[in-house]
Amino acid sequence: MKQFVFLTLIGVLCVTAVQAQKVKGSDTVLPLSQKEAERYMKTHPSATVTVTGGGSGVGISALIEGTTDIAQSSRKIKFDEKQKIRAGAQTVEEIIIAYDALAVVVHPRNPVQELTREQLEGIFTGKITNWKEVGGSDLKIIPYSRETSSGTYEFFKESVLKNRNYKNGILSMPATGAIVQSVSQTRGAIGYIGLAYLNREVKALRVSYDGGGTFTAPSVANAKNGTYPIVRPLYFYYITRSEKAVRPFIDYVLSPAGQQIVHETGFIAL
Amino acid sequence: MNKRTSQRIAFGIFRILGISVVGILVGILGFIVYHGVGAVSWEFLTTAPSDGMTAGGIFPAIVGTLCLVAGSLTIAVPLGVMSAIYTTEYAGNGRVIRLIRIMTNNLSGIPSIIFGLFGMALFVNRLGFGDSILAGSCTLGLLVLPVVIRTTEEALKAIPDAFRTGSLALGATRLQTVGRILLPAAFPNIITGLILSVGRVAGETAPILFTVAAYFLPRLPESVFDQVMALPYHLYVIVTSGTDLEAARPVAYGTALVLIVLVLFMNLLASFFRKILDAKKG
Amino acid sequence: MKPDLLRCKRKGFRLFAEALFTLSGTVTTVVILLIILFLFKEGAGLFRSNEVEKGYSLCVHASSPVERLSPAQIKQIFDYETEWIPFRLEDLFDRYSEEELGKDYALLPGKLGEEITKEPKLVAFVPTQYVPTGLPTVRVLPGSRIGWLRFFGGKEWMPTATPAPLFGVLPLLLGTLWVSLFAILIALPLGLGATVYLSELAGEKMRRLLKPAIELLAGIPSVVYGFFGLVVLVPFLQRTGGLPVGETALAGSLILAIMALPTIITVAEDAMRNTPKALREASLALGATRWQTIYRVVFPASVSGISAAIVLGIGRAVGETMAVLMVTGNAAVMPSSLLEPVRTIPATIAAELGEAPAGGAHYQALFMLGCILFLITLLISTAAEIISGKSFYNKKGI
Repeated sequence: MKQFVFLTLIGVLCVTAVQAQKVKGSDTVLPLSQKEAERYMKTHPSATVTVTGGGSGVGISALIEGTTDIAQSSRKIKFDEKQKIRAGAQTVEEIIIAYDALAVVVHPRNPVQELTREQLEGIFTGKITNWKEVGGSDLKIIPYSRETSSGTYEFFKESVLKNRNYKNGILSMPATGAIVQSVSQTRGAIGYIGLAYLNREVKALRVSYDGGGTFTAPSVANAKNGTYPIVRPLYFYYITRSEKAVRPFIDYVLSPAGQQIVHETGFIAL
Repeated sequence: MNKRTSQRIAFGIFRILGISVVGILVGILGFIVYHGVGAVSWEFLTTAPSDGMTAGGIFPAIVGTLCLVAGSLTIAVPLGVMSAIYTTEYAGNGRVIRLIRIMTNNLSGIPSIIFGLFGMALFVNRLGFGDSILAGSCTLGLLVLPVVIRTTEEALKAIPDAFRTGSLALGATRLQTVGRILLPAAFPNIITGLILSVGRVAGETAPILFTVAAYFLPRLPESVFDQVMALPYHLYVIVTSGTDLEAARPVAYGTALVLIVLVLFMNLLASFFRKILDAKKG
Repeated sequence: MKPDLLRCKRKGFRLFAEALFTLSGTVTTVVILLIILFLFKEGAGLFRSNEVEKGYSLCVHASSPVERLSPAQIKQIFDYETEWIPFRLEDLFDRYSEEELGKDYALLPGKLGEEITKEPKLVAFVPTQYVPTGLPTVRVLPGSRIGWLRFFGGKEWMPTATPAPLFGVLPLLLGTLWVSLFAILIALPLGLGATVYLSELAGEKMRRLLKPAIELLAGIPSVVYGFFGLVVLVPFLQRTGGLPVGETALAGSLILAIMALPTIITVAEDAMRNTPKALREASLALGATRWQTIYRVVFPASVSGISAAIVLGIGRAVGETMAVLMVTGNAAVMPSSLLEPVRTIPATIAAELGEAPAGGAHYQALFMLGCILFLITLLISTAAEIISGKSFYNKKGI
């Protein structure tokens, strides 16, 4: 009896393993993969795509451990992560599925319209603490950040903070949606979010990467023509060996239908 | 001050405090019900989320939660009932039993996040279950174990000793007494404990974060090694992540309402059960 | 022969069942031991980890006067302008293309060696496997282990800071206690007031209605409390208090107070109702008013039960995860005010465990936090048991 149950379990597992795939990782990519999976499963009734969050770091380490088929990531795979995959005699494939621009947002009634990269660095590393230091009103700056594992956190750190660490005791929100929510409620707040998350309740700042020469507003158009500086690719990673299993879903994401979803979700299509 | 006046003042304050506690409860429940009722419909309960989880229903999450409830009870009930039988019927009243009681008590005081941590280390990683219903059920099962043990113990203790001595006098073994006399007599109370556990399991988020919960998985699980969506985790993700939190709000209120109704219904059912039993006894 | 076999079988079954019962009897003990074992086993690895991120080393020029660096000094060098020049692998990739570094980065150590030789003030943070060996100009700084003192006495929690993560548990520990303390201070008057009302003043009908209602309050899932806190309490506090941030320790304390109320009320109410009738009647017969009876006779008589209620309430507050994660802002700072965000231990575990690669120092640090939380709750359970006289368990029957 027990053996029978066990065998059935294994049987069920094998059957599901053929069509089921897990996508895990970045919370930024989450809404996108969720929608892609939703539509994909509608057109491919036999397929099952599980989407889980946790952060880019989680996704990639799950890929290394073999507990996910696709790792969704909002940052490039790190050098040592690649080494770990290599240590297991595997190779990893990288697919760019869309682009995302990071918008720096403040409360809608904040008079500040634009900031330079250096000013942003000062704010998020804790050197600038009052809005009047950057041309605003006399109000304490309250920077909101993401949790430490998120790719958004790392990309912002790399691109804007030039790899310096965030200030100690920064407010960290479990997900980007929560940052939008908090910034929209908090007068002195500043936060960074994916363009897809931008709505009317928060105001996006224009950003300059040339020390105040030109300021560009975050938008799909500006990101596409390369004038907006804080743009990053969004990735799917998979182990080369499992190419056959994951390729249909990835092909769907890269197809015009899939890229239409990218656009709908507020990301930048390829 | 006159002692009558001071009594009046003190009692007035207590009355206000007592009623305000109930007021808080009514306020929170009322708020969720008020906003949630509009969102809940037959369609909401029976379809999968769509449009980036801002529309559609929560069917997979309901099914997932039910799977976890069934799985964790399968683990907790046999273990808990047998453990209670041991402590009340076999162990006597020595030092061992005191230790066991203290341990049971302590186990119920351990925060649920610790169970999550432990479940991830043992079931997910060490035993290799991965993120799965199995790992989640084991974790939740251990979490509700003290509830099952306590209610069963209470039930067994409430049975008059005459039942035991009578059965033993008729030549039945201790095991037969337990199996044929005590368990049937305690059965309704054990059910009460079971229902209470259902309420607890259905509402916990922290233990399933790292052991089973999926962000989006509209397909229903096919084996115990699948991940599932679950109501409390679903509520957590739709209020904190997603590109459009405002659009997802109605779904969030609806989910909260379904969750509360499920949990409170279970608790009410348990207290109703208990009342009937008390009436029977009286 | 046959009856004998049957008897044998039966006896075997009985022994088997009894063995099973005995085994199950120890299940809670076993679970606790397993929890301790796993938490401490995973957690203790932290103190065998190096302070610098796993798999990486710090290299300097051989002539450099630097002997060893503490995590705080490393952070200083890499985050602020100092006389030293921080150097990461990314800087090398900026200067050389993938081709120039050779197949499998075989030429990488060489290039790195050149960089270090060129600049004596350089502090390079590179994967250990690419450290140039055999170069007289390059010296690898000795790595030291993460110390107990740095962990328990550290005031900065930056688990993903590079090159050296900072695992200072103090802000999280104090944050947890801070939020719980104020939760109890808020819940106490409310809870005890409601208890007195429930056990002494309310009519039987009212009591029968209210008691289950309050017990229901305990059944509401914590994520629902968190949701309520996030959409109602946080904006409300921010607007009425004119606070710069709504996600504060205060919001956490208020939500926790509401969550601890049912525990406090049910336990304290039982204690007060268990006061012997003779005591009350004697007091009333002596001419005392009901109020005098309550606070001179009933309170002192049930003080142990009430204290146990308080302690259990604290226990509930300390371990609460989801609601706190959603409303306190999660900033890892030393708590100094109720109106600032804080980060608690359970919230930290819930927020970070998913992202910490299994087996790494961060993962181990989170298990260490679990150990601390476990010990705190164990302490609280034991305290409740001792305070409530003999065994709290026997008296309450829960």
